[in-house]
This record gives sequence, C-alpha cells and structure tokens, in this order.
Amino acid sequence: MAESEEEVDVLVQRVVKDITNAFKRNPNIDEIGVIPCPEARYNRSPIVLVENKLGVESWCVKFLLPYVHNKLLLYRQRKHWLEREALADITCTLLLLNPDFTTAWNVRKELLQCGVLNPEKDLYLGQLALTKFPKSPETWIHRRWVLQQILGQCSAADRSKKRQQGDAERGDAEQGGAERGDTERGDAERSQQLSEHLARTLHQEMKVCSDAACRYPSNYNAWSHRIWVLQHMGQGNVKVLHDELSSMRLWVSMHVSDHSGFHYRQFLLKALITELSQTPASTSSPQQRCSTAPSSSHLHHSQANGELSEGEAATDEEWQLSANTVLQLFHQEMELCSDLIQSFPGHETLWSHRRHVFYLWHHWRREQQQQKGSTNGESRSGVLSSNGDPAPPTLSAQSSAGGGGGVNGQGHAAQAMEVDGAPLPDPRDSKRLKTGVRPPSPPALPSEPSFVSGFLDGCCNPEQRRFALAYKKWLDTVIGQQP
Amino acid sequence: MGTQVKDVIIKPDAPSSLLLDKHADYIAAYGSKKDDYEYTLSEYLRMSGIYWGLTVMDLMAQLPRMNRPEIVDFIKSCQHECGGLSASIGHDPHLLYTLSAVQILCLYDSVDALDVDKVVEYIKGLQQEDGSFAGDKWGEIDTRFSFCAVATLALLGKMDKINVDKAVEFILSCMNFDGGFGCRPGSESHAGQIYCCAGFLSLTGQLHQVNADLLGWWLCERQLPSGGLNGRPEKLPDVCYSWWVLASLKIIGRIHWIDKAKLRSFILACQDEETGGFADRPGDMVDPFHTLFGIAGLSLLGDEQIKPVNPVLCMPEDVLQRVRLQPDILS
Ligand SMILES: [Zn+2]
Repeated sequence: MAESEEEVDVLVQRVVKDITNAFKRNPNIDEIGVIPCPEARYNRSPIVLVENKLGVESWCVKFLLPYVHNKLLLYRQRKHWLEREALADITCTLLLLNPDFTTAWNVRKELLQCGVLNPEKDLYLGQLALTKFPKSPETWIHRRWVLQQILGQCSAADRSKKRQQGDAERGDAEQGGAERGDTERGDAERSQQLSEHLARTLHQEMKVCSDAACRYPSNYNAWSHRIWVLQHMGQGNVKVLHDELSSMRLWVSMHVSDHSGFHYRQFLLKALITELSQTPASTSSPQQRCSTAPSSSHLHHSQANGELSEGEAATDEEWQLSANTVLQLFHQEMELCSDLIQSFPGHETLWSHRRHVFYLWHHWRREQQQQKGSTNGESRSGVLSSNGDPAPPTLSAQSSAGGGGGVNGQGHAAQAMEVDGAPLPDPRDSKRLKTGVRPPSPPALPSEPSFVSGFLDGCCNPEQRRFALAYKKWLDTVIGQQP
Repeated sequence: MGTQVKDVIIKPDAPSSLLLDKHADYIAAYGSKKDDYEYTLSEYLRMSGIYWGLTVMDLMAQLPRMNRPEIVDFIKSCQHECGGLSASIGHDPHLLYTLSAVQILCLYDSVDALDVDKVVEYIKGLQQEDGSFAGDKWGEIDTRFSFCAVATLALLGKMDKINVDKAVEFILSCMNFDGGFGCRPGSESHAGQIYCCAGFLSLTGQLHQVNADLLGWWLCERQLPSGGLNGRPEKLPDVCYSWWVLASLKIIGRIHWIDKAKLRSFILACQDEETGGFADRPGDMVDPFHTLFGIAGLSLLGDEQIKPVNPVLCMPEDVLQRVRLQPDILS
C-alpha cells in the first residue's frame, strides 16, 4: 500500500474526525480496541462503533499513529500551529493508541488549565485508555494530576466560602444580618454539592481501579493508584475504609494469586487500625460498634469523619470498644486467610498475606501492652488477659463474627483455632462496662504453630508444604527475634 | 483445585552459552530502522532506549560501533530551558530521561556537552518539602524519581545541592514490613522500586538503614524453580526483574543467597539464537531493554566475557572509576 503523503493526510484527518464524532454520537463509549483487519475496505471508515465499544481497524493504525504523533511533536517545537480544538482531538486519538506518550498528556494538562477541557472528560479518556492498556503508567499518573485539580478546586471553593462567612460576620456587626441567612443557606448547599461531587469521584475511581485490576492480574499501577486515592480523598474516613474492606472480601477470594489485591487489603486493615486506635468511637452507639462484623452501617458519620467534638475525650470503655473492634478485624482476616489457604493450596500470595496480617496484629498487641504498662494497668487493660495475651475465641463466636464466613471453608476454622472459653463481646458488654464490670476478653488469633503444623505432616501438596515451612521459619526468625 | 507454580519450563534445546557477537550485531542494527512503526511507538522513552543500547554495547566492549557525535548532538538538543532533558526532541523534560542522558554522556566522557549547572538546578527544583522528588513539573511522586535525582547528581558530583537528609527520610517512609519498598508510602513492595531505593540508600551512604536480612529474604523468595527471578509473589520470572533483584542483593551483600548457576541458565535461555538479543522469558520477542539486563545480570554473576557492571547505576565499573564514583555496597 504505497499511499502518497497527501492521501495519508486526507485519510488521517478523516479518521481523527470520525473518532471525535463517535464520542459525540455516543457519550457512553466504555471500551476501546483494535479490530484485526489487514486491509482497508473501500468506502468504509476504519472507526467502528458497536453499542458502547469503539473499534479501530488495525490497517489504519500504522498510518494514524505516526501522523498524529508527528503533528503533535511539530506543534510542541512551535513548527506547526494547531487550534485548541484540534489539539484536543489529536491528543485524544494519540493517547487511545499510545497512552504512555507523556507529552500528549501534558498538552492536555495545559488545555485543562486554560479551561478548554474539563477534568471529568480527561478522567473519562484515561478510563477508556485503561480498557486497552490497564497498566499504562502515564495514564495513571495523569489521573492523579487531574484528581488533584478537582481536589484543589474543591478546597478553593471551601476557602472562599469561609472567607465570605468571615465577611458576612464582620458586616453583621455594622448593619445587622438580613442577607446573612440566604448566603449561609447557599453556602451550605454548595458545600453539600462539593462533598457529594467528591464522594462520587472517589467512588468512580474505585470502579476504574477494579476494572483495571480485573483486566490485568497483580496490576501494581492500578492498586497503588487506589491507595493514593484513599490517602488523598478519603483520609481518615472510617466508613470508606470499612466499605472497601468488605467489598474487597469477595474480590480477593476470587483472585487468590493477586498479590497486589491482597496488599491493598493489608493497607486497608492497617489504615483502619490506625484510625480506630487514634479516635475511639465516642459518639456512636457502643452496641453497634462492638456487636459483630464492622461494616458501614455500624458507624455513625461523626465517627466516620474521624472527628471528635470537643469535650468528648475518649474514656476507658471507649478505648476498650475500639480495641475490640480491631481484634475483630484481625480475627476475621485471619479466618478468611485460613479458609483461602485451605481451599486454594499452593498460593504464595495467601501465605504472604498471612505474614502481613500476623505482623500487624503482633505490633498492635505490643502497642496495647505498652499502653497498658504506661497507664499502670489501670485503663485499657481489659483488652488483654492477665498474661498480656488476648484470650482465644470460641468456635461459636467465630461463626457469628465472620461477616460472610469463608468462601468454601466450612470445617477449616475448627482445625485452625484453639478453642477456649472466652466468648465474643456482646452488646450487653457496654452495660457491664458502665456498671464497672470488666467485660470478658475479646477474640484472639489462632495459634500459628498449630495452624502450620497441619500442613507439615502428611500434606499432599508439595508447594503448600514449602510455603508452610517458609512461614514457620518466618515466624521463628522474624517474629521470634523481636522483643 | 490443582496448583501450578507460575513459572516457565526451560526446554533442553534452549541456548546455554553466551552469544555475545549476535547481541552486539542486534543492538548495532536496532537504531537504524528509524521510520518503523515500533520506533514511533517507543519514542516517548528514546533517551532511556539509547542508554540501554549503549550500556550493553560498552559492557560487551563494543561501544565504538555506535555513532558518538550523532548521539551527543541528539542529547544536547534534548536539554530544555529549565535544564531538564526529554526523551526525544519535542517531548517534555523529565527526571527519568535526565538520568539516562547523563549516564550516556558519562559513558562517552562528555558530560560537559550539557549545561550541568542547569541540570542541577532542575533536579533541585523538583525536590518537595517532604524530601521526595517529583518526576517533572507536573508533580508526580515516586521513589524511582528519588533514585533518578540522586543518581544523576552523584554522577555529576553535585549531591550536596539537595537536602539529602530529607530525601532519605522520604525513602525510609516507603519501607514495608517485609523489608522492601514501594513507589510511595503504603505501596506494595516491588523489585523495581526496591532496586531504586537500595540504590538510593547506597548513593547517599545510608545502607545501614536497610534491614538487610529481612530484605534479602524477600528478594531470595523471588527465585523460581526455573532459576529465573520474578518481581513480586506469583508473577512470572523475567530477565529485567532478575537484574533488579540480583543487583539489590548485591548492594545489600546477600547475592550468595540465591542459586547463581540456575539463574545463569535461565538468563542464557532467554537469548534468541537467530536474531541476537534477550527476551523477558525464553521464546519471547527480544528487545534492547532485556538485552541490557540480561548481559548486566550475567556480569554480576561473574561472567568474565563481560565487563564488570556496577549494581547501583547499571554502568560499567571502569566508567564509574573515571568519574570517581564508588557507591557503597554492604559486605
Ligand atoms: Zn521484563
């Protein structure tokens, strides 16, 4: 196909236009792809829109990409002028074909800054690129930049609101506040809109991450982006952390070799424990908190925002309840991990997850002991039994504690747990606390050595045995070494 | 449900000896197909591509076959007003390509082709309050960029221009319970990021901050039955990850913890006997990136047909002696 330069020019301009029009015709395109098709079919556009899928016939890519690529570079070197609209179209085509072309994303950042593009549109373009290139580092990097713009806009709006309030208050002193009520109502509405907008954006990002994680296993860029989003947009939000943890439960159970997915769970667990240890619940009902598996419904918004109103210093019983919640989380996580290890033998990811969860628990317990020591054993000591170890749970307690139980794991728990008499805290505990009666100890973790030994004698799967041995060695050397 | 370990099987007829001449021919020919579609597709990382090609040629003592004046001119034209370098002409500057450019110019002993002061200003300007480095003016943070910053400055002998203590603090905040490092605080350990962080701590004289036994343990667990190394649990072995893991082990003084002979046969099996070059795994398509890391890995494993490679900067040791840079290695 020896096309002349002019022919290529006409062809490519038509294709770029077809792509732009496809997006205008169907704003709900949700996937892109290349259609294998070695030769052009006469009089037919190589851009194919089927339902919500946008396809590019493969024969035209080798003309299209170099053309838009060179055009953009000439523009960047100020050798060729392009109108803003044309720039938006060209970078769109370019990035759908080659999303790691950093400079093209940068051109779009500039277009965003001068208002030619809007942030939502660029998040959408990135989302489409990720359907074909779920790892593309530059696409994820651009998303973070766009999200930061959105966050910046929201906090700027927040600041100007506060300034207006300040002005209104100063104005009041002089002329009375007839208009103040209206302004305040307007502000409250806008601030509500902003926070709803942010919540929607956060939710949408989680979905984009999930999709990319399903398209490519152990997708480091997708999962580390998801962590970034929580760190920047969901900071201290216990409700979001809980929701993520429970929605991830099924996902990891279906992706038992996805180390990144499990790492994300470890991140959530750690973040939740940090939050719960810093701000014990003091305004929500204790019954809700300590009863069973923590989920969003168990947390009031005041706590979910991680705010403690003044004068509500945490009391011992509140610390106690937070500590119980944390123990519940550990307990459920270890139970999930045991179930998965039993059901899916020979997965390094699951054993690695066990290490991490055990390590988190080990450290949390040490901190609890230190706190106990520093307060002369007076407060916060109820969490621990007399020897400083959390008492083990009962079997019946486990079945009531596990949010959804294990995936396929019915009988496994019995084998993994040491059975002893201390029941889970129940709603009545709070009453007992108030009347000064020490509650029974909350659940502890299974005994790891006995969990491991179950795999060492007569285990049929050599991989499972190898991982169990490595875990035992890790417990002995890494955990055993620590004071 | 049965399990199969995620690994490759090395066929009995896989290459088992080093085909140096083929690799040199492959790299020498690679740059000549400039209007090829693949070439366009990878232009956004051209500068790093040149670094991979030239470094592997130098390790094989074949650097004179490359077109030095053309390359130095190209690099000069990639330096921007701000001092940073871009991957290619017309692209935007970035720390990744600034490091690659300085590495290439060190191979050619021509760092003065650049405005070095401006390079230093560029890097300095990208350091953030928390000590981290943005990759470019748009602000993305990653431990890789911290490595790029200190590696470039170390090669230029200008490490004192940044706040090293703060930079170290940030890297340490990315350390995980398994002794590894991720791209940002809280991110999963990843062999590529570990290499960057171990290299960073070596260049800043802070290797004592690493828990070498714990990290060494994690790194050794990357070796699979085929002998190849992966970058994270349950990923396939790969020649480039073999380099990152091996180099990290070398930096923290634990290279003897893995089975070197098995790794060597894995890397050799990734050669293409016909075209030359190395692929990520046996039987896959070769590329200059995996060719460099294959050769560099074999050098670290002690192959005497190849020049000794420095594990921190992935450059020939003789080049680093010339610029008087000797990054720390734990013993
Ligand atoms: Zn690779």
